[in-house]
Formats: sequence, structure tokens, C-alpha cells
Amino acid sequence: MNTRQTLVERCSALFEDLSFGASRAWKDAQPGRKVVAYMPVYVPRELIHAAGMLPLGILGAGESLEVIHGDAYYQSYICRIPRSTLELGITGRLDFVEGFLFPSICDVIRNLSGIWKLQFPDVYVRYFDVPQNYVDGIGGSYYRRELEELKEGLEHLAGRLITPEALRASITLYNENRRLIAGLYALRTERPWQVPSSELYLVVRAGMVLPVEDHNQLLKDYHAAAVEEELPIRDKSRIVLSGVFCEQPPLSLIKAIEMAGCYIVDDDFMLITRWLLQDVPLDGDPLQNLVDAFLHHSAETSAKYQPEAKLKGQYLVDAVKGTKAEGVIFAAPSFCDPALLERPMLQTKLDATLVPHIGFKYAENSGQMQPVREQAGTFADSIKLWSNP
Amino acid sequence: MSYTAGIDVGTGCVKTVLFEHRDGEPLWLEKRCERIRQRDPYQLAKDTFQEMLEARGLSAKQLGYVASTGDGESLPFTTGHFYSMTTHARGAIFLEPRTRGVVDIGALHGRAMRIDERGKVLGYKMTSQCASGSGQFLENIARYLGIAQDEIGALSKQGESPEKISSICAVLAETDVINMVSRGISAANILRGIHVSMAGRLATLLKGTALLDGVVLLTGGLALDTGMLAALQDALRNAHSRLEVKNHPDSIYAGAVGAAIWGEFRRKKLGFQPAEVRA
Repeated sequence: MNTRQTLVERCSALFEDLSFGASRAWKDAQPGRKVVAYMPVYVPRELIHAAGMLPLGILGAGESLEVIHGDAYYQSYICRIPRSTLELGITGRLDFVEGFLFPSICDVIRNLSGIWKLQFPDVYVRYFDVPQNYVDGIGGSYYRRELEELKEGLEHLAGRLITPEALRASITLYNENRRLIAGLYALRTERPWQVPSSELYLVVRAGMVLPVEDHNQLLKDYHAAAVEEELPIRDKSRIVLSGVFCEQPPLSLIKAIEMAGCYIVDDDFMLITRWLLQDVPLDGDPLQNLVDAFLHHSAETSAKYQPEAKLKGQYLVDAVKGTKAEGVIFAAPSFCDPALLERPMLQTKLDATLVPHIGFKYAENSGQMQPVREQAGTFADSIKLWSNP
Repeated sequence: MSYTAGIDVGTGCVKTVLFEHRDGEPLWLEKRCERIRQRDPYQLAKDTFQEMLEARGLSAKQLGYVASTGDGESLPFTTGHFYSMTTHARGAIFLEPRTRGVVDIGALHGRAMRIDERGKVLGYKMTSQCASGSGQFLENIARYLGIAQDEIGALSKQGESPEKISSICAVLAETDVINMVSRGISAANILRGIHVSMAGRLATLLKGTALLDGVVLLTGGLALDTGMLAALQDALRNAHSRLEVKNHPDSIYAGAVGAAIWGEFRRKKLGFQPAEVRA
């Protein structure tokens, strides 16, 4: 039987494995299999899957890998994820990857796509440029062409066509994946003591390296185990964690926030898993369905442009209300433009609605958690003792 | 009527208290302070908690809230955790209602706070990570000098020509002390020098909180060190401060006391009954 502990231990092992053994095992299981890596925002994993290849989410190297080569390619005043990702490549940890997609989350990642092309000329590299205009005839047309180009590139790499039937089958699997993750998030919102965020993070993150079929089963197993095993309720403050969508914080940071007296009831970790908010329809043209879902059913976050000034940050206020959160913790990677440039506007919105908040920065290899404990702890206390009932 | 417990897991000691709350008034029933001495602090906390309950013929289920503070975040049997500043501030108000400033001197840190009459922290300053502002450093030096911990204060106050000690780094300070011993400086003057050095840092922290007058209560493991108290009073007097620094016989329990009292506040705010929120 899969207990919570065994499932989390499995996910933890996947998380710590910087050789990506699970993905390598998938590839080695059958001759001719290929793996396409991606940085986990925006990318339509359905297309990779429909081409018969394994989508592999790369979120940097975390805290355990010393970056030596990667630092030579970037100036010091940018975030760490491109350096450590490059370190993974140069040290051969991604030598089994045939393709790599770099989504347009920021200029640094765009530049990383160029470096990757130069550094690894045999790898199919694509800068996946998504629109920040969500009008059908403008951003929609552009995104359709972008998807068609990506589809052609993936077909060429895979050596086979991506049929509408195959794409629908993949969409079905990823729809289920999104539903299962949404279900776990809903369970955590309702009973956060039953689903510690440090566990949920690992379980969701396992989906970056596992085939979606396996990950769906893992999500089901964990959900069942989380419901089955009663954990004690603690008197903690309910908070939303914002800004953690690209470079991921060390696991110890998530644990530190929880230990300091906070229940994380919503977050924007690994945004790709919750980027689309509804099932992508299966009828009609599946490629167009992906376009429509991107335009009209994608999550409002810092990674999505909001042209209406008065609506800026409303999603965060809605998240606070929807999850009955009592405050927001802004945690962003140092030098992360998308998160840090957005933060003042979000803070202004929260101030206007009297939602308490604090903020700090991190890097994926941050080691000293005492300041985080102090900040999160005093924030949790201030909510518990001094906020209105 | 309800019962709450506060458990303060410190670096050097575990402090445990039990309170009864009747008509909104906290009544202190039990207290325990156990030095950790290389034991498992969580097991120690559990044992002293049980011992305290047994002394009053209570079971854990009868408690409305069990609150941890200090390093007790992961204690498995608590209802909730409060951060140390929050609890020391509230504990200080309980011990001395006139308190408007708190200096918490623990084994590994020093911290000054400005608080209001409710125990709300209005501002604070902390020592950096360096251990030379901490009780652990003082305890180490006393051990090197062959002096029992409870002799430190009285001996320090006998020092008439305190030696200057590095106030920046424990390593440098220990080197200073070794040199002093070899130069024949008396233990009293060495300890007094350490107290003066630590008091200087704490006075600077207090100044940083912008507290101008009122009572400042020492809390934490070093609060009852009379040498420390005297040195801090001297430092503030020399700086023409209007602050009145004092300690309380139960200063070491301030964190645990604050945790227990805040626990009752949360119990009432959340409206839950004993054992409802604990496994």
C-alpha cells in the first residue's frame, strides 16, 4: 500500500536526483524514445507528449549543485536558475535530452535559449515566444502560428506527425493532470493541516520528471493517502505565497514558512501545472483549443500581462478571499524581473483591501532560513494576535 | 475557566509553565526549568510538560491550548506556536506591567524590543549571529575559568578594573580572555569586562528601538545574572538614558509565560474547546 510517507519519499528522491534517473529510465525502456526539456511556464506539454516524447520540466538545479561553469556565462546581477540550468547541461546531466524549449518568461531565459543553441548544437532548441496580448485576432493568431511552428519542429524531431487524435489523447491526460492537481490544492485550502505544502510541492514537482500517466496515478495515490491519514490541526495563519513561479525556493524555505506558523493555502509554484484553469475541450481542432485555452482560460498571475490597471492584482485579492487567507507572503527569487517588478503593484492592491503582507527574496540555493523563520513567524503572530477577527 | 501551557524550548534550557484562566485573569500554577545538557530538548519538553500536568492532576485533554515558543515549532503535541519576541513581550508585561522595553538575552542571541502596554512589539533590534553577545559565550568563558554559573554575577560585581573585551567576535574575545589569564588578570575583572562588553552591545540595541524612558525588563537565560544587570544599568546611566532596567525572579520564564497567555487569547478568539484542535 502506498502510504503518505512512501509516496513523499519517492517524490523526494525524484526531487533530489539531478541526473534525472526516472526520465532516463523512461527513455531507455524503448529504443527510439526522445526527451524534450522545457522550463516550466506556458509550454504546451500536450504537443510534446502527442509526438511520443517525454516532456521534462527543468527548474534549475536547486541547492545541492555547485555552479561553476554556469557563472561564466552570466553576469552576477541576474537570478540563479539560468546558471544552474546551464551547469546541468555542461556537466552532462542533460545529455539524454534531444530538445529544449525556453518560454518567454523573461529576457534572461530568452538569452539562455541562445546560449543553449551555441553550447549544444545537436539539440533542438526553441525559444517559445507566447503573446502577452489576449485578443483572438491579434495574440490568438500569433499564438496559433507559434504553436504550428512548434508542432512542426517537434514532428521533425520525433520523426512522426502529431495527429489530431494523438493530440486529443494527450490533452485528455493533461486535463486529468490539471484536475488532479487542482483537487489537491482544493483539499489543502480546505484542510491545510492534511496536506503540508512541503509535501504537496514535492508531489506536484514529481510531474516535472515523470510521464504524465505515472504522475496522474501518483496524484491519485497521494490524494487518497492524504485523506486517509489524519494529521493534527495546528493554530496557524493562512497565507498565500506569491512570486515563486519560475526559480523555485529551496524546500527548506517552504518548510520554514510552515514551521514558523503559517499554512500556505495557495501559491504559484511551477505555474505550468495550474496555468490553464479549465479542461481544454476535446472536440474540434485540438490545436485551436489549446490557443483558446491559453487566451481565455489561463491563470492571472505575474506571468500574464493585465492591460487594465484597475484589475492589476485583483487575482491575488480574489485568491485571498477564495482561500480564506489572512495574509500574503511575497517570496521572489533575487533579480526576478517578472515577480519583483510586479510586487509593488500587487502590494498596493492588497493595501487597498487591508490584506496584510510581507516580502522577502531568495535564491534556489539559499541556505540560511533563520531570517525567513523570523519574518514569517512574526507575520503569523501579528495576524493571529493583532488582526481583526 | 480554562488551562493553558507554555513551552519555551531555548538553546540552553526548556522552560514549561501551566496557567489557569478564571474570569480573564491568568493564575500561574506550575513552572519548570530544565537545562538541556545534551539531552533531546523535545523529549525533555514532553517529560516536563507531563510532570507539570501530573503535579496538578490534569490531563493534556483538559488544556485549552498548549503553546510553544523558542525552538519548539515542531513539538508534536502543541496547539500552536508563537515567535519568541511575541511571547517575551507578553510575558514581560505579565511579570512587570510597567514594562515598555524588553532585553531578551538567551544562550545564542541578544534582542531588544519596544513594546506597548498590551505586549505588542512596536520595534526591535537583534544582535547579529556572532556569539559574543550571548549567554553561551559567557558560560564558556566561566567554564574555562573554573567558575560555576551561579557565581558569575556576584564575582563580576567585585571586578573594579574590568578588562576590555572584543565586542565583535567570540573567537577574538576568547583570545582576549586567554591573554588576560596569562597576564594574571583576576577572574572578577575578566567577567566584569565581558559583562561591560555585552552591556554595551545591548545598550546600543535598546537605543535602536527608540525607547526613551520607562521600565526595561531583562528576560531570557541571562536575566538573573546580577553582573549583567549591573553592567547594563551602568552602560545606560553613562549614556544619560532615562530607562530603568530591572529583572524579575521569574524573568527566565517570560517566553513560556507569554506563550501560555497568548494561547488563552487564541483559544477565546477561535472559540474552541480543550483538545478540539490537538491530535
